[in-house]
Amino acid sequence: MSALPPIPTDEVAGPLCAEVTRFASRAIDARAIDQAAAIPRAVLEGLAELGLFGLTLPESHGGAGCGLRTACQVVSELARFDRSVAVTVGLHLGLGTRGLVAYGTPQQQERYLPELALGQRIAAFATTEPQAGSDLSALSTRALETDDGALLVNGRKVFVTNGGLAGLYTLAVATPGLGGRERGQSLVLVERTDAGLTVEAEEWKLGLKGSSTTGLVLEDVRLPASRLLGEPGWAAKSLAHILSWGRTLMSAGCVGTARAALDKVHVQVAHRRQFGKPLAALEVVREQVASLEALTFGMAALVDEVARADDEVLLGRSLAAKVFSSEGAWRVVDGAIQLHGGLGFIEDTGLALMLRDVRVTRIFEGANDVLLSHLGAGELTRAAERAPLSKVVGVAMAGVAAKADEVAAQVEATRQALLSRFRVGVFRQPRWMHQLGAACCWREAVDAAVRRADASGRTEDVARASLLTLQAKSEVARLVHEPVPRDLVEVALSDTLPLPEVRP
Amino acid sequence: MSPDTVQRRVVHIISQLVPVKPEAIKPEHRLREDLGMDSVASMELLSMLAEELELDVGVEDVADVHTVGATVALAEAFLAKKKVA
Repeated sequence: MSALPPIPTDEVAGPLCAEVTRFASRAIDARAIDQAAAIPRAVLEGLAELGLFGLTLPESHGGAGCGLRTACQVVSELARFDRSVAVTVGLHLGLGTRGLVAYGTPQQQERYLPELALGQRIAAFATTEPQAGSDLSALSTRALETDDGALLVNGRKVFVTNGGLAGLYTLAVATPGLGGRERGQSLVLVERTDAGLTVEAEEWKLGLKGSSTTGLVLEDVRLPASRLLGEPGWAAKSLAHILSWGRTLMSAGCVGTARAALDKVHVQVAHRRQFGKPLAALEVVREQVASLEALTFGMAALVDEVARADDEVLLGRSLAAKVFSSEGAWRVVDGAIQLHGGLGFIEDTGLALMLRDVRVTRIFEGANDVLLSHLGAGELTRAAERAPLSKVVGVAMAGVAAKADEVAAQVEATRQALLSRFRVGVFRQPRWMHQLGAACCWREAVDAAVRRADASGRTEDVARASLLTLQAKSEVARLVHEPVPRDLVEVALSDTLPLPEVRP
Repeated sequence: MSPDTVQRRVVHIISQLVPVKPEAIKPEHRLREDLGMDSVASMELLSMLAEELELDVGVEDVADVHTVGATVALAEAFLAKKKVA
């Protein structure tokens, strides 16, 4: 049982999470999964029996019809026990099936969703290629229309999560000419048994070893036109929605990992004695633990708000949730290891596995540096519309909310200063957009934490929100400073990494 | 700079940002709905244009620019302003 108060759950997620906890306590052995680099078949079957693979799929096709928030709560709970299991389920519910649920034709849904809901078929999603990551326009896997209206797909995808388990893949591919767009991209559904598809060997990774990651090779894979998912030639439109689901579910996993690390910290500092007293009696230790709890509180509050948001808000705020929760989980697990001393470095403690597992979350589902630039650019284009929190919270939260308003004011002042200084050319200032994006993450997390503490009314939550706000003030103050001089960077790199010539 | 030249430059920049061939880009095309540019890509377009033509354009000046034709008109207006100055 977590020592932190549980995340508020809805009427579906509450009982379901309790079932997940019972099942996971009994059946999931994170260390064994890590060592075997695979999730036992019995665990996957148990997850399917719990109905987790159909959680967000429509009831009309055998799913539970739940929303993103419920799925996040379940994924977060799974992540407390093992991140590979959480990623397998989260990927299936998010990137794997969301496109089919949101944009699939009735025929596509009828064909695939029932088996996907039962976990008889696992879903995967593939965009990344050896030479294309976040840049869709660089995709080299192509689906070309044949004379009889079919599609012929050729190319290679890499780092496909669930790749080795999946029975259905949603692929982003270049589709020149399709939908009247010469350089368009589309989503296509590829079945495991399609002739010409080869699933490559499992990657050997730093962490998340139980989660399947493979490449896919597509050689003259012939698909009927009915395998196109969403609007032909405009993958970017549906991808925005699908990716926001994927990011949010991944963020929920980070919350679970952070909570699991904190559970271990609470036990460790209560029992480990140094200088004649428990670590938990040492002021420096207490401050560190409180800081980690505040960070986790902010992550949980932000992810929960984002998971409840409507689609338009979800698109933007899921970026902040993804970056803040993945960076936060990394900090929390690292802090937990530090608080364990040498023991934290030993695999038996379980924290080393968490650290290895969580590392990739700062990279996949959109590398954080790319997302921060998007966030910063988005902040520069939007009209300031944040209402002061100090005017909407209760009396107990007024002081904390005022500090949160100061954080937001600092971000807004920076935004205004950049617009005034660079005019529209600010969108050609990547380092400033990156820094502004990072500052936005802190503002979003603090705002969410203050609202959650206000809603709960718990003194401990108010204190956690307050501590997070103090951290945010210091972080944002650092981020709104002038970037390091570019000339200095170039001179420092001149004998090791001269600036390469970039051709359009 | 002639209106044709301005239009060509605008179209060239757009074709670098979205998967559409230059010859398929028309003045009446809407940046978002027809060309699939999100708000950030639209701003990047205007930013690139301002840099290329050395125009002093503020974000507030481009708030109502939603089509290729409006982008060209904006560039022409700022070029004329620059000429007068």
